[in-house]
Amino acid sequence: MAMRSILGPMTRTLVALCGVWVLLSCANAHADTGAPDELVRTLAAQMTQAVRTDPDLQNPGSLKISDFVQKNVVPHFDFDRITQIAMGRNWAKASPTEQKQIVLEFGKLLTRTYSNAIASLKDLDVEVKSTRVTTPNSDVVVKTQMIGRPQPVAIDYGLINSPGGWKVYDVTVEGISLVAAYRDEFNGLVSSSGVQGVIDALKKKNGS
Amino acid sequence: MKRIAASLFVLATLAPAFAFAVPAKKIAPIIAPAPIPVEDEPAPPNDALEPLNRVTFALNDGIDLILVNPLVTLWNGVMPTFVRTGVGNFFNNLDDVYVGVNHVLQGNGGAAGADFERVAINTTVGIGGLFDVGARMGLHKVDGDFGQTLGAWGIPTGPYLILPLLGPSTLRETAGRSVRVMTDPRSYMDTVPSYSLMGLEYLQTRADTKANEGLIAASSLDRYVFVRNLYLQKRALLVKAAQEKTSSAAAEN
Repeated sequence: MAMRSILGPMTRTLVALCGVWVLLSCANAHADTGAPDELVRTLAAQMTQAVRTDPDLQNPGSLKISDFVQKNVVPHFDFDRITQIAMGRNWAKASPTEQKQIVLEFGKLLTRTYSNAIASLKDLDVEVKSTRVTTPNSDVVVKTQMIGRPQPVAIDYGLINSPGGWKVYDVTVEGISLVAAYRDEFNGLVSSSGVQGVIDALKKKNGS
Repeated sequence: MKRIAASLFVLATLAPAFAFAVPAKKIAPIIAPAPIPVEDEPAPPNDALEPLNRVTFALNDGIDLILVNPLVTLWNGVMPTFVRTGVGNFFNNLDDVYVGVNHVLQGNGGAAGADFERVAINTTVGIGGLFDVGARMGLHKVDGDFGQTLGAWGIPTGPYLILPLLGPSTLRETAGRSVRVMTDPRSYMDTVPSYSLMGLEYLQTRADTKANEGLIAASSLDRYVFVRNLYLQKRALLVKAAQEKTSSAAAEN
C-alpha cells in the first residue's frame, strides 16, 4: 500500500516525462523533414490536391491562387539565390540596396507569372524520380516527372540546405533552365542601361 | 523495485536532454552553399544578325496578331478536342518517320527502332496515325530532326536566325529544315492540297504551343532574348544528347 502511494506520483511523472520526450522528438523530426526529395514530393502532392479540390485555384488570376502560393510555395524558394544566379557577374555591380530591390521585384515577377500555371496541376501528377547530390547535405537536384499529358515532362528542382530547411533555387523543364533565360535578359539590360535598367524593367513588368 | 523505479526516473529525467542531443547530432552541420560560379556562365549567344532578327520577330508578332492568333482561337473553339488531338497525332506520326531516319543517321539504332515501331503501331492500330497508341504502350514520341543530326556530326549552329512565320532557328537548323521540306511528300503534291496540309500542321502546332507562348509573354522582360535563350538551350540539349548516343554507339562498334 505504501509502495503504491510512492509509485503513484512517480508513475505519473514518468508518463509525463515520456510524453515530453515523445513530443520533443516529434517536433525535432518535423523540423528535420530532412530529405529534399520528401519536401518536393509533399509539396507537389499538397498542391495537386489543393487545386483539385478547390475550384478557385483552377481559375488563373484569382486572388486565392496568389494567396495560396504565398503561403505554401514561396517559403520553399530561395529568391536571394535565384536572383544572384540570374544576375551572374552583374550581381557584384549592384549596390546592396539595388540587390534588395532586384530580389524583391524578381521574386514578385516569378511568383505572379508562375502562380497561374498551378491551375494546370488539376490534371497532372508529379512523380519524384531520383535525387542527384551535388554537395552532400548542402546542394541537391531532385528529378521529377509531370505525368498526365500525352508526353511526360521532366522537371528538376535544384535545392539548397539553409537554416530554414531545403529551398528551391533552380528549376529546369526538360533540361532547360528558366534562370538561365533570365540571365541573358539581365545581361542585355545591364549592358544597355545598367543595373537600374534591370530594376526599371522588373518594376514595369510588375506594374509597380 | 524502488531502485528500478528510481533508475527509470533518472532515465526519464534525462530523456528530454537526449531528445535535444540526438537530433542535434543527426542534423549534419549545414555546409555553406557553394559560391555561385560566375565563371561558368555560358558564352553570349551567337546573334550576329540581331538587328534583322528583331525586325523579323516583330513582323511575326504582327502576323500572329492579325492572322495566326484569330485562326488558332477559331480552330480551338470550333474543333472538338478529339479532332485537334487526332490532327496533332497524324502529323506527329508522319514526323516520326523523319525522327527515325535521323536517329539512323546519328548512328542511334536503338532509338530508330523505337521510332519505327511507333510509326508501325500508330499507322495500323492507331488508324493512320490519328491515335497515339504507341504512347499508351510506353513508347513516347522523342525529338529528332536533320538540324540535330548535323549538330551530332559536328557542324556548328551558326548564327541565330528568326524565320518569317516559323520563328526561332539557326543557320544549321534552317539547313536541316530545308532537307526536311525537300524530302516531304507534300512538297511534290499539287499546290492546293500541299499548302492545305502544311497550313493545317502549322495551325495545329501553334495551337499546341499557345499556352506556353502566353507564359513566355507574361514572364519575360525582353521576349526576344528570352525566346532566343530557351530555343538555343533546347537545341544544344538535343544535339548533346545525340552526340552522346553517337559516340557511345561508335565505342560499342
